[in-house]
Amino acid sequence: MARMQIRISRRMLFTWFMLTGFILLLAPQELTNKCQLAFAHIFRWPLSIGRGVSLSARSPQPFTDLVPRREYNKLQNHLANLEARLRQQHQKLEKLSKLRNRFAMEGAKVVLADVTTAAINELHSQLIINRGKDDGLDTGQFVLGDNGIIGRISEVSSRTARVRLITDPTSKIAVKIAGLNVNRLMQGAGSNSAGIPYLDIRHKVEIGNVVYADKEPGFLDAPMIIGKVAQCKRGNENPSVWDITIEPVCDIEGLKDVAIIIMNPQE
Amino acid sequence: MRWFRFAVLLSLVTVLQASVLASLNIRPDLPLILLVFFAIYCNTHDAIITSFTIGFAADIIGYTMGPQIISFGILGTSLAYLHRLIVIRKMPYQALAIFVTGLLAGALTYILTFLKGQPTAANLYAVLFGTPLYSAIAGPFLFLPLAWWMRIKKRKA
Repeated sequence: MARMQIRISRRMLFTWFMLTGFILLLAPQELTNKCQLAFAHIFRWPLSIGRGVSLSARSPQPFTDLVPRREYNKLQNHLANLEARLRQQHQKLEKLSKLRNRFAMEGAKVVLADVTTAAINELHSQLIINRGKDDGLDTGQFVLGDNGIIGRISEVSSRTARVRLITDPTSKIAVKIAGLNVNRLMQGAGSNSAGIPYLDIRHKVEIGNVVYADKEPGFLDAPMIIGKVAQCKRGNENPSVWDITIEPVCDIEGLKDVAIIIMNPQE
Repeated sequence: MRWFRFAVLLSLVTVLQASVLASLNIRPDLPLILLVFFAIYCNTHDAIITSFTIGFAADIIGYTMGPQIISFGILGTSLAYLHRLIVIRKMPYQALAIFVTGLLAGALTYILTFLKGQPTAANLYAVLFGTPLYSAIAGPFLFLPLAWWMRIKKRKA
């Protein structure tokens, strides 16, 4: 009898656990994401330490008499952003010279956040950061790393947020290639790259061309650098279009902190 | 079963997997190793609880909730029942158990993730074979410290 009871108990246990699993599986993603963000918030210190250990193991020894590559890239990105902003202001000045104009990014707030965890692979590319709704973050806001756009806030809890990186396969961001007057959608391709498909082959695209995230009302006032053209080849299915591979302008995996652009801060 | 030790161990493994191992290209799946360890060395009742709990932890650090709790639960329970018939004590057999469990868990997770409508891996073979293989290589060597921490006596075959 006792053995029988134990057997039933095991079955019940298994059944209840399976039921829990299916409830979690069928529950809305927004709801279950809160569990994941709560874990990231509760364990933020050990996760940060672990990530620090991982980063220190892979980062090379710095040279004291040379400018680090990361610093150089960061300044290059800043320069590209300023150039884009200047170009935009010139265009506006030409068109609306008689009207009072507001400078791009004027009044925007930048919130700095530490990266708690990073998961970058073929399937997903995302960061968990230690800032949330309490700091003014909201979904859709652009995230900067080394002065270049690296992603957008995809989920946010009170003190934690998830950043969907530009390389995530589900990421789609409107972009412009420097020198071309066409707007395209850049889609993440996993493995630290993104792509711009179906660009007409008449457009002249070269490796190294800068790609800017297009301005988006409420989120981004002026174009900002998002990547560079790493590869440009004719499409496999349709040779009359370019298949462009974009690489981010910074080492996203090595980032320890990021900045979030809040265009209309609620003060 | 020492549940407090289990909770500490699972927290540590979850944090390690999500932080230190997350950025490595070649990495073992520590929750998978833990799953096989408890399925082999615990009684069936405890193995069911640990399997689902480890699956839940794997989901927490994963991308979507549900697929791993189900796949780990089913495979951990199956392995625990299988272990009542076949003793898995030698390291090569343990490695094989980890590899096969990882393979099946990966396939089931993939199917459930697909059914949930979430993005799935483009390179399926690397996900299905790579991680279980690395786990199978590292896993049996981790069983000794795991047994020491959990105060489980490993009997020689």
